Amino acid sequence: MNLENRKRELAKEFSPLLEKTTKTSKIWMGFLILVILVGVYAFFVQLFKGHIVTGMRDNVVWGIYIINFIFFVCLSYSGAFISGILHFFKTPWKNSVSRIVEIITVLSLIIGPIFILLCIGRLDRLHYLFIYPRIQSPITWDIIAIMTDLIGCFIYLYLTFIPDFAILRDNSEEAPKWRQKVYKFLAIGYRDIPTQREKLHKITRTMSVMVIALAIVAYSVLAWIFSLTLQPGWNSSIFAPYFIIAGLYSGIAVIIIAMYLIRKYYHLDHYIRKVHFIGAGVILLVVSLLFGYFTFSEYFSRWFSHKTHDTNLLNTLFTRYFWMFIFANYFGVLVPIVILFFKKLRTIKSITFAAIVAIVGLWFNRYLIVVPTLETPYLPIQDTREEFVHYTATWIEWALSFAGVAAFILFFILIMKLVPIIPMSGIIDNEREQKKNKKSFKKIVTE
Amino acid sequence: MKSINYKYTIITSILIAFLFSFNGFSQEDELTASDYKMRFSFKTVKQHDNTRLLEVSFIGQNKKDRKDKIPVFDAVIKFYNNEVLLGEAITSDEGTAQLIVSASQNYITDEDGYINLLAKFEGSDGLDEEEEEIQVKDLFLELNLEEIDSVKTVLVKAFTIDSLGVETPLEEADLIISVGGMISKMKLEEGTIEDGEFEFKFPTDIPGDVNGDIIVYSIISDNDDFGNVIQQKNVNWGTFKNDIVKDENKLWSEAAPIWMYIVLTILLVGVWANYLYTAINLFKIKKEGKEIELKPEQ
Repeated sequence: MNLENRKRELAKEFSPLLEKTTKTSKIWMGFLILVILVGVYAFFVQLFKGHIVTGMRDNVVWGIYIINFIFFVCLSYSGAFISGILHFFKTPWKNSVSRIVEIITVLSLIIGPIFILLCIGRLDRLHYLFIYPRIQSPITWDIIAIMTDLIGCFIYLYLTFIPDFAILRDNSEEAPKWRQKVYKFLAIGYRDIPTQREKLHKITRTMSVMVIALAIVAYSVLAWIFSLTLQPGWNSSIFAPYFIIAGLYSGIAVIIIAMYLIRKYYHLDHYIRKVHFIGAGVILLVVSLLFGYFTFSEYFSRWFSHKTHDTNLLNTLFTRYFWMFIFANYFGVLVPIVILFFKKLRTIKSITFAAIVAIVGLWFNRYLIVVPTLETPYLPIQDTREEFVHYTATWIEWALSFAGVAAFILFFILIMKLVPIIPMSGIIDNEREQKKNKKSFKKIVTE
Repeated sequence: MKSINYKYTIITSILIAFLFSFNGFSQEDELTASDYKMRFSFKTVKQHDNTRLLEVSFIGQNKKDRKDKIPVFDAVIKFYNNEVLLGEAITSDEGTAQLIVSASQNYITDEDGYINLLAKFEGSDGLDEEEEEIQVKDLFLELNLEEIDSVKTVLVKAFTIDSLGVETPLEEADLIISVGGMISKMKLEEGTIEDGEFEFKFPTDIPGDVNGDIIVYSIISDNDDFGNVIQQKNVNWGTFKNDIVKDENKLWSEAAPIWMYIVLTILLVGVWANYLYTAINLFKIKKEGKEIELKPEQ
């Protein structure tokens, strides 16, 4: 089949996804906007009244904002990591998931840092971080890492979008004019000629390596924010690799959930098949084993060394946070392992369920890293008011947290309205590759 | 700690109650003023500006437990020179009452030139009257700090002045030369004034403050005839060196360790060079695209 015709065919196939919005979809988007607006209101309440409206106090200075920050940023790094691996090693089934991963990467890297801004009591002094940076501080490293990574991920995402923008530019005559203009601008004159294709492949491949390296550096820096302090529960030499594994765990789980939802609601069964779920499920199994191993090592060494403050922390974890601890570190690890270990249990729904358990477990794991440690400080708490000793998130914090999740989903849907979730250029590349292989096979046979 | 404070508060309250109340009271299980022996001590210090400090320390000491001392505060102490009232002062929370008598005060002296000073607490219902008397001669100390043949020298002159204004050098008295420190005075030399004069070679290794300024004191302390006499002068004889060397390029200093800058620069340059390389290639792709767009028209 002629290449141009094939492109036209693909553009036609995916155009309903881009142009049509169903009633359910509209209601869903309306709901997401409502959640975001509640979050915006909560933000203004916090801005004008100060952190007193949150559960954060002198001792527990970090709450669910920082947990969401770690969660989203780790999600992004893992997305970048996975995406880089898929591209660099030319994984055969990458085409079905690569765009999902790339969008997750960029969106979570935009939303994650917003949560760290919410932790700052004096936002009017935010610019001091840039005017008076202290190179020795892990916070400064993190700011540099996040900003560099964000730009890198944007470039990388854009590179992977260019061929599709070009296809859409050439095959969207019926689309609204603004959309045509946007495609034309973003396609930057890409015509899929061999020299352009070669250049684009080369820089995409280099960027894929770069985002892997960046993700590892940024992951480690994020972990060092905690582990370079002397706080019990944080001061650990394995925190950086532990964060990398935990991030991958959450990243793969979110990809599986996104694959399931997109497959179900956009009827893409043909592109996102069971084999993709099984592939992702097996990776999730390997990572969950690693995550379980790291979690065990972390808590086991603390328990065995029996240092006073570590013992206090473990006592807190096994009393006040008993069920959360059991869910995060037992169910959150063992349930996915059991589901994914047995071949018979590996169905699309069960794999997705395992991913949901992993995600929730991991969020609680993050909670247990941050809050109980701050509740058991080195110095005894002077003021023994309940709210000073123990942390409980307020509705403001929950509203902003849900607003973050809603914004993530909403932006995901909006990006899916701009470019197809399955890269058309990837499909064409695959077909081109198959044709090439067939030709060379034929040549070998005839010779 | 809390219980000790509590005890002190109770006892002090009782003492105060005795000072101002007409009705004394006691409880079997609580300490009363009668359990305490009153220590009333009076001293005088002639200060560098020739004013005279009169100071009373009024402390109650437990008869059974000598370590248990309670200051008597808010007690009115009157100071007299013979029968002339010089002034009065109220004891502080530490049980100390101070009165500074101006340099121009004309004291009544006896035929030997002694000033008779009396400090008196007139008593209350709970506490007996207390008083102490001291006799001192008015001594003048002159402190001169001079460089003699490039040697920094402390010269002290001590003399008394009789009613006719004639200076009489002090025959003999112990003298201490000190310099002011951050918390207390640091003793440099202990010597004796003979024939009204004392000379001391000032050490060359006293740092002084950041400007090299030093306060030099000449002190006659607890002398039977003169009490306490202090003279002081400020002089720039210090050899202050800024020994606090600022840490450079440390984890805790203002500038970070060099390796941090190097690593960060390598990482950032590496990454941004790659971004730049990507951007250049994107421009090339755009350029090629434009050329293709123009060709069909040609």
